[in-house]
Amino acid sequence: MTVLPNARVDDQLFEAVYTQYFDLLQQIAVFKFQVPDSDAEGLVHDVLISYLRKSHEIIDLRSWLIGAICFASRHYWRLNGRTSGVEAGELEADRVDPASLRILDSLPDQLAAREALECLAPRCREILHMRYFEGCTVAEVAARLGVKTKHAQKLISKCLRRAEKLYGQKGQGR
Amino acid sequence: MKRGPDPARVSEFAETGRKLQREREEVANAVDRLLRDTPRERWSELAKREELRSSGALDRLGLSVTQALGRDPRHALAIAELATSVAESLPSGAYPVLVIAQLRAHAYKDLGKAFLYLGRLPEALAAVDRADACIAEFGALEHDRAIVDVVRATMLHEANRYDEAFALLTRCKQIFRAYGDDKRLLMCGISEGVLLHRMRKYREAREAYLLLLATTSESGDREAVACLHNAIGHCSVELQDFAAAEANLSRAIELLHALGQPLQAAKAELGRGRMLVRKGEIQRGISHLQPIRADFLRHEMTEEAGLCGLEVVEALLLDGAAEKAEALARDITGEFTAAGLNTRAITALAYLREAIAARRASVSLVTTVREYIVSLRTSPEREFAIVG
Repeated sequence: MTVLPNARVDDQLFEAVYTQYFDLLQQIAVFKFQVPDSDAEGLVHDVLISYLRKSHEIIDLRSWLIGAICFASRHYWRLNGRTSGVEAGELEADRVDPASLRILDSLPDQLAAREALECLAPRCREILHMRYFEGCTVAEVAARLGVKTKHAQKLISKCLRRAEKLYGQKGQGR
Repeated sequence: MKRGPDPARVSEFAETGRKLQREREEVANAVDRLLRDTPRERWSELAKREELRSSGALDRLGLSVTQALGRDPRHALAIAELATSVAESLPSGAYPVLVIAQLRAHAYKDLGKAFLYLGRLPEALAAVDRADACIAEFGALEHDRAIVDVVRATMLHEANRYDEAFALLTRCKQIFRAYGDDKRLLMCGISEGVLLHRMRKYREAREAYLLLLATTSESGDREAVACLHNAIGHCSVELQDFAAAEANLSRAIELLHALGQPLQAAKAELGRGRMLVRKGEIQRGISHLQPIRADFLRHEMTEEAGLCGLEVVEALLLDGAAEKAEALARDITGEFTAAGLNTRAITALAYLREAIAARRASVSLVTTVREYIVSLRTSPEREFAIVG
């Protein structure tokens, strides 16, 4: 991970960034997205240029650049009209991200989870409530229960397993 | 595959990087001084000034738009119009084409935000369309496109086009996640919650916030955690889940005090006061809300004090104390007038006071007026209308 400070960066740092990430980004464009060599270099240059205006606000430069080259490569193929099976499959695989699904579609599952929680024993419900609803750390849960952190972690796992079982039953009922 | 980057490109990259950085550091004071020393009606002439024709100046103008939006949207619009003129007049060789596209897109996005705050929705949408057009041909600018789309989603939200707003936010989340931009990812999630809250889908809004809380808690971003607990608390009040409301509002208040944000904590306390009223503990609710209102007034937060006062008006009506409710509504109207707040808000408050005086005001009318005043923050030109 490269973190650029807000303050004035070293005079040579821009060259260093370009050199450090050029190969990685080009390989992603060429090997993952099959962008031709000649065009991949241009895409990488565009991606690196696009980062400059935001250099002072990007926390994780590596992730940012990888995200950018993936989108730039997809855009390249949209413009160039390629829809081969491999490419389409690749893009589809990239797209699968449960956390990004439409929130309205995922909420019924969340509500089923909530119903499952309501069927748990009060102590389990309290433990999971502290951990996942109030946002307590394991250490905070342990302190509130008056037990050791390790034991709290065991309790959380046990309650989660019970909730999972109940959730399965609720899901089947739907 | 060719080995190593082209030295000419490395050189262009480094020179541009240094230039942008230098400008960011140098122009801030010059921009502020020019805006301060020039009457607003002559700002259009500033677009020709050499010291404004740079990326750094445009960044500064963008920041000034954001700062002015909540305070004076007309002022924000004037700055945004100046920024678009500057961006359009940048000479083609000043920066790489991609940077010029970014500068223009962000200037139009800010213009859209200013129009949105003034309730000029068609012009706001046209401005973000223009922003999109500036960057459409560049595949490397997906992050910029998502930033513009978050603003567009807010506009669609205001236009009650909720499905389209949700679809856009979903897409933006995917992009911010891929770029590792956790801050904007969280913002999108919160926007979804706000959207659901606005649709009065309190159960779904709460679930959305709970999902975010599970991930945000681990990140150590205590400000975001506090904001989420507060939002969950408010949803829980609406759902009459008072145990969850108490737990979450307490946690939010505790965190906000620890973060040194007592006035934000007071807003969470307001939720607690509302909860007491909803629970039927009306006198306790009123006693809880009155010092909060006094605190807001002491800090000259007239609008917040008024909104808190309306909670008390609602409680007094529930308690059958119409005379006290009318007197308080009159006080709030007077405070809004003295502070020079939006005349539409004052009209709505005056209507409420008259309705209470005529003994035809209901609790739902108070809610309507309160929600209307909140909506004026993003749509200051919206008309007050009573349905039914």
